[in-house]
Amino acid sequence: MRPPARVALVCAVFSCLEVGAAAAQGYRLRLDTRFQTVAFRGVTLDSIAEGDVVVGPGGGPVTADGFAVTCTPASDFCQFYRPGPRLSSDPLVTSAELTVWGLGVTGLSVHGNARWGTDLSGDDLWPGTRPALQLQQAYAQYAITALTGRLGRQHVTGRLGWTGIDGAALTLRWPGAGLDLTGYGGWGLARALDVPINSPSLNPLDNYQLSKRHVTAGAVLGWRSRAADLRAEYRREVDPLVDQFISERAALTGVLRPFERVSLTGGAEYDLAQGWLGTSDLTLRYDAARVSADATVRRYRPYFELWTIWGAFSPVPYTAIDGSLSVAPMKRLRLRASGERYWFDNSGAETALASFEDRGWRASFSATVQPDPSLTLDGTYRKEFGPGAALQSWDARATWLPTPDLTLSVFGSTLSRPLEFRFYEAQVDAVGLDAGFHVSDRLQLAVSGAKYFEDRRRLDAAAFDWNQFRLQARVTWLFGSDADQIRLPPAIRGATRQVVR
Amino acid sequence: MRAGRLVTLAVAALALVGAGGTLATHRTADRFDHLQHRRVFPTCQGCHPGAEDSSRSFWPRAADCARCHDGKIEKEVTWSPPVESPPSNLRFRHYTHAEKASAKLPADSVVCASCHLAQGARWMEVRRGNPGQCFTCHGIRAEHLAAPDTACAGCHLTLVEASTLPTERIAGFPAPPSHREGGFRRRHPVSQTCATCHARDFCATCHVNAPEVEAIQALEPDPRSLAIKATLESPVSHVAPDFVQRHGKQARHTPKSCATCHAQASCLTCHVAQPEVAVAMHAAGPGRSKGASVNRRRPAWHGDDFTNRHAPNASSAPRSCAACHARADCLDCHRPNAASAPGYHPVGFVARHPASAYGRETSCAECHNTGSFCADCHKQSGLASRGTLRGGYHDAKQSFLLGHGPAARQGLESCVSCHAERDCLTCHSARGGRRFNPHGPGFDAERLRRRNSQMCTVCHGAAIPEQ
Repeated sequence: MRPPARVALVCAVFSCLEVGAAAAQGYRLRLDTRFQTVAFRGVTLDSIAEGDVVVGPGGGPVTADGFAVTCTPASDFCQFYRPGPRLSSDPLVTSAELTVWGLGVTGLSVHGNARWGTDLSGDDLWPGTRPALQLQQAYAQYAITALTGRLGRQHVTGRLGWTGIDGAALTLRWPGAGLDLTGYGGWGLARALDVPINSPSLNPLDNYQLSKRHVTAGAVLGWRSRAADLRAEYRREVDPLVDQFISERAALTGVLRPFERVSLTGGAEYDLAQGWLGTSDLTLRYDAARVSADATVRRYRPYFELWTIWGAFSPVPYTAIDGSLSVAPMKRLRLRASGERYWFDNSGAETALASFEDRGWRASFSATVQPDPSLTLDGTYRKEFGPGAALQSWDARATWLPTPDLTLSVFGSTLSRPLEFRFYEAQVDAVGLDAGFHVSDRLQLAVSGAKYFEDRRRLDAAAFDWNQFRLQARVTWLFGSDADQIRLPPAIRGATRQVVR
Repeated sequence: MRAGRLVTLAVAALALVGAGGTLATHRTADRFDHLQHRRVFPTCQGCHPGAEDSSRSFWPRAADCARCHDGKIEKEVTWSPPVESPPSNLRFRHYTHAEKASAKLPADSVVCASCHLAQGARWMEVRRGNPGQCFTCHGIRAEHLAAPDTACAGCHLTLVEASTLPTERIAGFPAPPSHREGGFRRRHPVSQTCATCHARDFCATCHVNAPEVEAIQALEPDPRSLAIKATLESPVSHVAPDFVQRHGKQARHTPKSCATCHAQASCLTCHVAQPEVAVAMHAAGPGRSKGASVNRRRPAWHGDDFTNRHAPNASSAPRSCAACHARADCLDCHRPNAASAPGYHPVGFVARHPASAYGRETSCAECHNTGSFCADCHKQSGLASRGTLRGGYHDAKQSFLLGHGPAARQGLESCVSCHAERDCLTCHSARGGRRFNPHGPGFDAERLRRRNSQMCTVCHGAAIPEQ
């Protein structure tokens, strides 16, 4: 589809949604259109004869002018990537979120979330724009004090992660006892994406893929009181074609509030298919107006579905201890520090041929100063070292609110990023501007632009620039029978993040 | 800035015009100096015959003035009697009052001077009649605005009846002392006497349930009543620190009480994902208040890094989240938008993501489908494998391919963002290649085979080992 036609289609979608919503009894419709243009350096596949390959500074095969090459036994040529033409990508995504109630039955409502995206450049280079139409939620809900029933496409969330199903869920509640029991089941959706697991868009590397959708079912038992929330979860995913498990997991999670301002949160996952303890954590936290602190011990182990072979490769977990402290010594000054130390379990695959880092640490320090209620200055220093990569960065941001409805900010950052497995250490600098305008309670605009300068610090020809410019724009429309009341307070998330309304 | 100055000037100009108009009105009203004419007129009725005789005009004729003010005896004046009665909300009519008074009281006990001359004042040193004088004669022992509610209607028309009273006069109505008492705004008995100063529209300024309250509906509508401004005041109960946590139970038990001041929008400001909680409330609309404004605030216990540490709370107490957050809030991050500006991640995260991704500070797969997101982008960038393996790419490590096992088991999620299964099966397959065993210590083959033997067949074919 050519770009003008796509733009016309976007406009048509806008119009239809608006007209349709206007006729609803009680409704809330939020339209959010975002556009981003990104320019970056492409790559071009090239090859040289195997006899022309030389040994590079890292010991690997490279071209005479320094590009790392990949040689295959079956071929007399080795392949490598040269810097290619400048590419651009212009994803445009419109999200529509609709809730309708007042349908004649008390407690009955309909919810929907859909996202339509396209790359206006026509090249579909940017990840996440396919499939063009993604239906994230579309369900009818009946909710009363004692139960909630949902039918349609919905998300199931919890300690075992987000997953989508096309099916039904029923929650029964016993408010007096603080208990609730949820059961759900249906055809599953892929992890972290609302398309079936057999969608072609999930398979850019042409891997093995299931041919039919899997079935997901599970149950959650929860108990809550003033001092605690506890939940136990069980979830299984099955490939109906061969009637075998894709996953079978259980989890426990909870929050204890023994004293005011003190909480203990934690949880653990158990992979019944693999027979091992999955990601687990325990955090003790203290929250007060001027001081907040937490200490955490956690264990991270990746989870792979059984339709892939990756779980059989015995991924090893790491154990980490971390802590953070946030202090406001003065009314308009807040200081933060955080740190983490982690180490992997023995992989059982060590050889004398190569050595790798098996432990790492992270630390960050940041300060937020508000010399004036309308001006916020924020700076962050972060240093990280670990297997695979390291990082050291400085970030700064100044945010100014000349009026309550207008937010302007300027930011800059510099970072160096050595890699463990590749021979270069990139230096990346960035500067940018953000602007957000709260036109009305029903309309918000935002625009952001940033320029990135990357120096790969290689001594060879492969040190081609990765400079890029990014521009983003966002329009959020709110329609609804009572939509004029909604307004989230702005939150400044720190130097490395933008002001979010 | 320039536009702001223009607006300021315009407002100032309007204020001056308004003030000038007010001053002009006052000058016109006080133009006739009674005291200066005290030697000319022996009685009031000479000029104001209508005060006692309803068939005659209350005002003198212009010609009567011209008898003296003819330009010879006295300078000429220009005056004409008012065509209409001045706007007022008084029931008082001079002739009616005179008739009733003369019927009930001894002759000459009530004369004009009783109300219009202060005690000891000189003849024709007239003043406006004041409520205090009315109260004295009629035996009401109270200050004007502190009089019993039942007394108002004795002298005053309702606001609706006083149709000529301009909005500015209504806006200037003095508030009775009772209205300033603590708690009056929260609890004020409604009676017909309220209609002296108020009409239905005024009540609907605050009362969302105005159409359902009989006392309010008993009042006539009159948009002029909006000239008196009313503001909602938060009840004492709402100030309690834990009110937000407790209000749900109260709202379920006494929804009508909440519906006095709150419309559906009040609930939906926070409960965006639970529209059903607002069912008991009225939707704002004609004849109702739009309801108390509710500000959605970030709870203090969220701190300033809650984005990074919300997962345990969200999975343990999802209903707490759902009270204020719609699923769309979560989808912003958990289903990343390809056209989105940085949200959860720092600005420029693409450049800095290797450290976070290798180190798995958080689980990338919670929000990104590694197949469609990571592998797709790595493929576009020339980073993904093309199905063949031999040293080259990982050029910072001597013999990376031969010794990659520890790195692979530590960062398998990173590996699969560039490598397809067939890359690894080149060596790690029981059916071909170099037949390197990929299973680590403690690998439970039997357990996996029971769960999904099909996975085993990828490497082992039909000959899946028992252990």
